[in-house]
Amino acid sequence: MRYIKEHIMFILPMMAILLGIEFYLVFDRMTSSYESALRDGYSMLAITQKEMKTEDFKKLNSEISQSTRIDKSEIVKQISSNQSQKDTEDIIKALPYFYTLKLSTYVDIDSIESIKKSLLKSNDIKRVETFGDSYYSKYRLFSFIKFTLKIFIFFMVLVSLFLVIKQMEVWGYKHRQRIQVMEIFGAPLMLRSGVLFKVALTDAFTATLFIVIFFAYLRFLWAGSSGVNIMIEQKDLLFQFNDVVILLTSAILIVIISVYSVVLGIKESEE
Amino acid sequence: MANVIHAENLSLSYDQGKKKIIQNAKFTVKRGEFVFITGRSGSGKSTLLKSFYGNLKPTEGSLMVGGLEMTTIPRRKLQELRTHIGIIFQDYKLINEWNVAKNVVLPLMIAGFSLDVQKTQAQRLLKHVKLSNYANRFPLELSGGEQQRVGVARALAKNPLMILADEPTGNLDDYSSSVIWDLLENACLQLETTVLVVTHKIPTVFSLPYRHFTIEDGGVYEIH
Ligand SMILES: Nc1ncnc2c1ncn2[C@@H]1O[C@H](COP(=O)(O)OP(=O)(O)OP(=O)(O)O)[C@@H](O)[C@H]1O
Ligand SMILES: [Mg+2]
Repeated sequence: MRYIKEHIMFILPMMAILLGIEFYLVFDRMTSSYESALRDGYSMLAITQKEMKTEDFKKLNSEISQSTRIDKSEIVKQISSNQSQKDTEDIIKALPYFYTLKLSTYVDIDSIESIKKSLLKSNDIKRVETFGDSYYSKYRLFSFIKFTLKIFIFFMVLVSLFLVIKQMEVWGYKHRQRIQVMEIFGAPLMLRSGVLFKVALTDAFTATLFIVIFFAYLRFLWAGSSGVNIMIEQKDLLFQFNDVVILLTSAILIVIISVYSVVLGIKESEE
Repeated sequence: MANVIHAENLSLSYDQGKKKIIQNAKFTVKRGEFVFITGRSGSGKSTLLKSFYGNLKPTEGSLMVGGLEMTTIPRRKLQELRTHIGIIFQDYKLINEWNVAKNVVLPLMIAGFSLDVQKTQAQRLLKHVKLSNYANRFPLELSGGEQQRVGVARALAKNPLMILADEPTGNLDDYSSSVIWDLLENACLQLETTVLVVTHKIPTVFSLPYRHFTIEDGGVYEIH
């Protein structure tokens, strides 16, 4: 019973750490896919005197990734359905050119303003419309959620790490006598910490396995039938093979750090 | 013959120098010598042994063990030095979660001998200390005297260059004591092992020549 308890006291916080890491990975993937959606949905409008190519806009500001000319005849058609052919052509000639511009990264409102300024430096560009407000409020909300979640995950991992080290100290205390005797007989660090490593690594693998199974379940069985649209669409983001490697590496690293911190903390004599 | 231990102006103390135990000691022990150390309880016998295996650093003076200065010895060197020293502790210091056989071969395990070698050596060593049938028992299932003999077997396991024995017969009857003395004498005689033994009672029957140090009021003196 005590044996089981000791292991659970290690496996649980270890799982919490790995859960935090996995959440972070999933969250990062989800947000970057949302970010690109937000970015793709955003565009500026530039009004120019002469025809311009994407290259011309890029020269003015490297953030611009794409420009599309809005067909003037389409605009004119809508406002001048009862004009004569000649008039329509005149109007079209008199009209400036309209472009929608897309950006290559997801940027904040200040950057948008500075992009606007750099575009307006050109004499050919008469106006730039940024539609900044709605974009910005989405961006702010999004950043805020991202920030709080990261803080939460950070604290969860931190607290769990303390619990892991605490349990390690309990083990260290239990093995103290053995470690001291071994040291007096000249055993190297690896040998002294051997038993601790064995227990801790076994538990770390167990914890990793639980987390992997849980997320694999979410992705392959739960997400498809969850009825939640965003989950069904993005279930690939829930769990990827790379994650197993990352989780396992993290678990092993945590074990190495905590075992050494305990073994090195055991003084062989009382002085 | 080479000096195994050489102390010059040696002072030992606890509590950051506040509690002085040994002061200004000067002595030399050569390879293959057999040395008895006596002194009243609390005089500092165990403390002196501790300094020999690097568990207590000298507060002052110089202490050379196996040619290494113990005041400044780096961790790695100390670790290496210790693999050549067999220690018998006054309080046995067996590893309670290991059985007797495993306890006995700890020095072999540290030296990286195979499990097969460890197993046969465990049998041989336990036979020497008359504990052949105890291989699979655990230390806490043994009497004090039996634990002490396990400790002796462990100290002899790797044929160390030096044996430090703290009251190795403290808990033993005359017969068991004579077994231990024979083992230590043999090691000294046949393998040229340097043996330092702390004891209250120098055995009356002892075939080897020996030296006798005594500790009194912090000083280490040789009795001729
Ligand atoms: N770790 C320690 N911290 C502080 N004082 C200590 C420590 N170990 C021993 N002492 C003190 O140092 C003195 C010498 O102790 P030591 O164990 O060397 O005596 P000893 O000669 O081996 O005695 P005994 O024959 O009873 O084993 C004693 O007064 C003891 O109380
Ligand atoms: Mg003592």
